[in-house]
Amino acid sequence: MSDKNKGLNKAREIYLDSSRRAKELKAADKKIIGYPCVYVPVEMLTALDLVPYRTCADMKEPVTEADRALPHSFCPVMRNCLDCALKGKNDFLDGMVAIHSCDPQEKTARIWESYTHYPYFHFIDMPITVRPEALEYFKGQLNDFRKTLEAFTGKKLSADKLEAAIKSHNQQRALVRELYELTKPSPPHVSGTEIVQVVKALTSLPVAEGNNLLTETIGEVKKRAARPEKKSARLLIWSSTLDDTDIMQALEAKANVVMNESCGGVRAYRGEVKLTADRLEGLADYYLNEITCARTFRQAALGETRKDYGRDLQSRFGYLKGAIKDWKINGVVMLLVRYCDPFAFEMPSLKDYLNSIGVPSTYIEYDYTTGALAPMRTRVEAFIETISQ
Amino acid sequence: MYFAGVDIGSTMTKVVLMDKAGNLLSFIKGPTGAEHRQLANEVMRQALEQARLQIDDISYIVATGYGRLNVPFADRQITELSCHARGVSSLFPDARTAIDIGGQDAKCMKIQDGRLVSFVMNDKCAAGTGRFLEVTAATLAIKLEDMGEISLKATENIQISNLCTIFAQQEVVALLSRGEKLENILAGLHDALASRVAALARRLGIERDLVLTGGVAKNIGMVKAMKESLGCEVLVPEEPLLTGALGAAILAKETYMKAVRAGEVLPTKSRRLEKATFFSQEYR
Repeated sequence: MSDKNKGLNKAREIYLDSSRRAKELKAADKKIIGYPCVYVPVEMLTALDLVPYRTCADMKEPVTEADRALPHSFCPVMRNCLDCALKGKNDFLDGMVAIHSCDPQEKTARIWESYTHYPYFHFIDMPITVRPEALEYFKGQLNDFRKTLEAFTGKKLSADKLEAAIKSHNQQRALVRELYELTKPSPPHVSGTEIVQVVKALTSLPVAEGNNLLTETIGEVKKRAARPEKKSARLLIWSSTLDDTDIMQALEAKANVVMNESCGGVRAYRGEVKLTADRLEGLADYYLNEITCARTFRQAALGETRKDYGRDLQSRFGYLKGAIKDWKINGVVMLLVRYCDPFAFEMPSLKDYLNSIGVPSTYIEYDYTTGALAPMRTRVEAFIETISQ
Repeated sequence: MYFAGVDIGSTMTKVVLMDKAGNLLSFIKGPTGAEHRQLANEVMRQALEQARLQIDDISYIVATGYGRLNVPFADRQITELSCHARGVSSLFPDARTAIDIGGQDAKCMKIQDGRLVSFVMNDKCAAGTGRFLEVTAATLAIKLEDMGEISLKATENIQISNLCTIFAQQEVVALLSRGEKLENILAGLHDALASRVAALARRLGIERDLVLTGGVAKNIGMVKAMKESLGCEVLVPEEPLLTGALGAAILAKETYMKAVRAGEVLPTKSRRLEKATFFSQEYR
C-alpha cells in the first residue's frame, strides 16, 4: 500500500488544493511570493527564504471578475489567472513577481498590481530574443529584482545563499528529468496525468519539499506493480500551458502521453543553471537561453541561419529531436490555447520541422474551458487512428 | 454474420446494419433529441426490426460520433472522422477529400487508400455548421428543408459578412427590414457558410474527387454554393447523413474479419439493448 501522504498520493492532494501548504507556511511566518510564469528565477526567492508559489489558472472556474478588466479576445489562461486573483484566491500572498514573458502576462500584471494589494510587487522586463545584448539587459533586470527583494526582506542576497538555492533548484530539475526517464518504457511507469499533478505540486511547494516529493515519487513509481495501461500511441504534447489533469486525461484516453513539452511538464526542468562567478549571469543565461517556450524568438539571434530554413528550424526545435527518438514518440500534438499568438505563429514552422524528421503531428486549438474537452478528445483520437492504422 | 455501425451525432442518431458480404440490410435515422445520446438503443431496435434480426445476431458493433462513448452495446469506438472517410470511400472509391457538415461541426478529411490520413475541424462555434442554417431558418420562419430550394431563386448577390451565427441573425433581420428579398438573403447565407467551410478545406488542401456529406448536403442551395466556393465538382451520396454509420459498420466488419483471419477472438460487449446513462459504461 502506498502511503497517503507521500509520493503520487501527496502530489495529487497538493494538485487538488495547491495553496494549502503555502497557507500553512504562511501561518508559520514564512513569506509567500506568487509568480505566474516559469520564467521568473525562483532561485532568487528561495535564496532569501521566500516561498515561491506559482499562481495558476483553474479551468473549471468560469471567468466572471476578470471581465471587468480584460477583453474576451484575450489569452484565456491569463484571463482565468487574473479572475482567480480578483476572486481573492491568492490573497494569502505576501507578494507577486510578474514578468514580461508574453504580452498578455505584461498587460495582466499591470491590472493585477492595481487591483490587489500585496506588500511586495515586482515586474521583470524580460527581453524576447537571445542576442547577447538581450542577455546583458536581462541581467540588469535581475539585478533590479535583487534590489527590490533585498529592500522587501531587509536581507542581502549573498552569492553563497544564491549558490545553495541554485543547487537545490538544479537538483529539482535533475529529479524531474529522472522522473521523465520512467516514461521511456512501454507502457510508461508513470502517466502524463500523474506527472501533471507532480509538476503542479512542485510549483506550489518550497524547493526542498518538492525535492523530497520527487524522490518519494520516483522510488514509488519504480517499485509499483501497476503501470499505466499501454495505449495505441506514444505522444509528445507541445503546448504553452498544460497543467490540468482533465485535459491530460482527454489526451491520454487512447494514448500514453510520455512527454509534456509545456510549463506544466518538462519545459522548466531541462538543463541547469550554471554557477557563474556573477550568479545572476548564470540565472539570466538559463532563463533566457535554456527554457524553450515560443515566447522567445530564437531565430533572430542566429543571423546566418535565417538564410537557411532547415538550419533555422534545427536551431529552434532541435531540442525535440532527441526526445522524440529516445522516448519512441510516434505522434506530436500541438495543443494551442486560443489567442496565444507566440505558439500559433511558431506552429507552422514546428510542423515543417516535424515533417522534416518524419514525425506525424496534428494541431488542436482550444479555449481553456471544460466544454473544449470532448472535441479535443475526438480530434486527438482521430489523429491516433491516422497514425496507428 | 452481421455487423452494425452506430453514429450518434449532435442532432441525429444513425444506424447501419450490414451482412458479411457488405450488403446493407437496413439503415435508420432518428433524432438524438433531448435525451441526448440515450436513444441509441431505440434506433438500434428499429434497425434490427427492419432487417428482421436480433441483437444477438450482430457479430461486431462500432459506435462513432460525439455520443460514441456511451453506447453500452458497442464493442469498439472509432471517431467519426475515420468512419466518414471509410464510408465515403466505399461509396466513391476515387474520393480524396470528404467534407462533412453536421449539426454541430464541420470537418474536412483527406482520404488515401480508403483511409483517413489527415483532417481539420471547425473550432468550437456554430459558425460554419448546420446550426447556422437552423438558427436562420427559425429567424425567417421558414422550414429548414425549404431553404435550399428558395435560395436557388435568388436574383441578386447579397454579402452576409458576419459568420457568427448570432450576429448573422442580426444581419438577416437588418436585411429584411431594408426590404431585401428572402431568396437573395438565403443565397447570401448559403454563400457565407460555403465560403467558411471552403476556407477550412483549403487549409487541408483540396483534391478531387470531393464528396459532401452530413445533413447540410441535403440542401440543394448549399451544394450549389459549395461548388462555387470550392471551384470544383461536388459529389453527394444518396443518403449523406449515413456515411458515418456506414463507415462504422464497414470498420466493424473489417475489424472482425481481420481477427477471424488471425484466429483471435475479439472481446464483445453484452448484447443487451439498454438505454445508456451518462456513466453506465466505462469507456475503453
